[in-house]
Amino acid sequence: MVSRDQIESVLGRVRPMMQADGGDIELVDVQGNSAHVRLTGMCAGCPSAHMTLYMGVEMALRDEIKDFEELVVV
Amino acid sequence: MRAPGSFSPDDIVVGHSARMRAIFDFVKVVSRSDSSVIITGESGTGKEVIANLLHHSSSRRHQPFVAVSCALFSENLIETELFGHERGAFTGAIKDKPGRFEMAQGGTLFLDDIDDVPLSMQVKLLRAIQNRTVERVGGTRSISVNVRVITGSKRDLKKMVAEGNFREDLFYRLNVLPIVLPPLRERREDIPLLSDFFFRRFSRARGIETPAISPAVRYAFSRYRWPGNVRELENACERIVQTCTCGTVRTGCVAAGVLFGACDPVPAASTAELSAGEAQSISLDDRLRDVESNLITWALKVSDGNKSKAAELLSIKRSTLGDRIARCGLMDTGVAEAADVAVGVPA
Repeated sequence: MVSRDQIESVLGRVRPMMQADGGDIELVDVQGNSAHVRLTGMCAGCPSAHMTLYMGVEMALRDEIKDFEELVVV
Repeated sequence: MRAPGSFSPDDIVVGHSARMRAIFDFVKVVSRSDSSVIITGESGTGKEVIANLLHHSSSRRHQPFVAVSCALFSENLIETELFGHERGAFTGAIKDKPGRFEMAQGGTLFLDDIDDVPLSMQVKLLRAIQNRTVERVGGTRSISVNVRVITGSKRDLKKMVAEGNFREDLFYRLNVLPIVLPPLRERREDIPLLSDFFFRRFSRARGIETPAISPAVRYAFSRYRWPGNVRELENACERIVQTCTCGTVRTGCVAAGVLFGACDPVPAASTAELSAGEAQSISLDDRLRDVESNLITWALKVSDGNKSKAAELLSIKRSTLGDRIARCGLMDTGVAEAADVAVGVPA
C-alpha cells in the first residue's frame, strides 16, 4: 500500500516550478497503489500538458516507489 | 531541419560562451589549411556542425562534403563503404561502386565515430590517408583522392591508444588539429541563446509565432544536465513547439524528465561519496559549479533577489556575481522559490 506522503514527496519536487508558472498538480486521492491527481491552474486545460506531465510523473513515481501502479488524471 | 547541401554558416548558432567563441575563432584559422582535424566531444555536442562549418569556410566549399558515421557499419561493410568495390568483388556486387573517399573527391570527408573503427580497419584507413590513394575492394587499381579528412570521436583517442584499442600511428596522423567540444552542461550560459534559436526555427517551420518562454521553464532548462547535449535541447524545443497549445511555454509543456532532472538535488561536494576503492571519474569543474550555483541561489534567496546584498553575503564584487550567475546558467529574475526547493539550500 502506497502512502500519501510517499507520493507527495515525489510531486513536491516538481511542484515549485509548476507553481512558479501559476499551475499545480494536486493529489486528489490514493486508491491502493494508484494515485489520482488533477492539474490545476495555467496548464489545466492543455492536452499536451496532461500528456507530458502525466506520463513523466507516473514514471518518476514508479521509479521511486516500489509498488506504485498507476497515475490517474481526474 | 537542415537539408544536406543547404548548409550555410549563418544558419548555425554556436553560442557566446568563451569556450565556444574560442572554438569558432580556431575553426576560422584552420579552415584555411588542408591538415587533418579531429573533433572530440560527447554525443550531441555538434561535431558534425563544426565539420560542416570547417568545410564551408574552406576553399573546398564548392566541392562535396561527405559525412559518414563509422559506427553504422559492420567491420566488413566499413571497407566497401569507405573505399568502394569493383563489380563481382563479392556476391551482390553487381556493379562498380565508388567509396566515400572517392565521393568526397576535391572536398571534405567527415568520418564520425572514428573510435568505433576496428583495429584491422585502422591500418587500411591510415594507408589511405597517408598515401592519398584508395583501392576499391576487389580492385587492383590505386585511385588517387584529394580529400581533407576530418574525424569525429566521442571518446578520448589518446586514452584508447594507451589502452591498445587505437593505433598510435593513425592517431598521430589524425590528431594534427584537435578541437574539443564541451558538453552543454559545461557551457550553461549558452542554453538561453540556443533554446531561443531552436524555438524560433521550429516555430517558423510550423508557421506559428515564436512562443513566450516562462521563467520557470528557463530555470528548468538551465538546471537540467542535458546528457544528450545540444541534440537533446534541440529535440526538447521541437517537441514543445509541436505540442504547445496556448502560445506560452510553461512547465506543463516540458517533458517531466527534464523537470525532475532539474529538481534533482545536487550532491554537495563536501558530502559526495568518493570511495577510495573505485576509480570512477568525476568532473571537478561540474562539482565546483554545483557548489557555486547552490551558494549563489541561497544568497539571492535570502537577500530577496537583491544582487548587491547577495554579493556582499558572498564576499564578492557585485559585477563578479553577475558574471557567475551567467556562468552557472542561473536566472537573473523570477522563481526564487522554485530555486530554493530545487537545489535544496538551507534558507
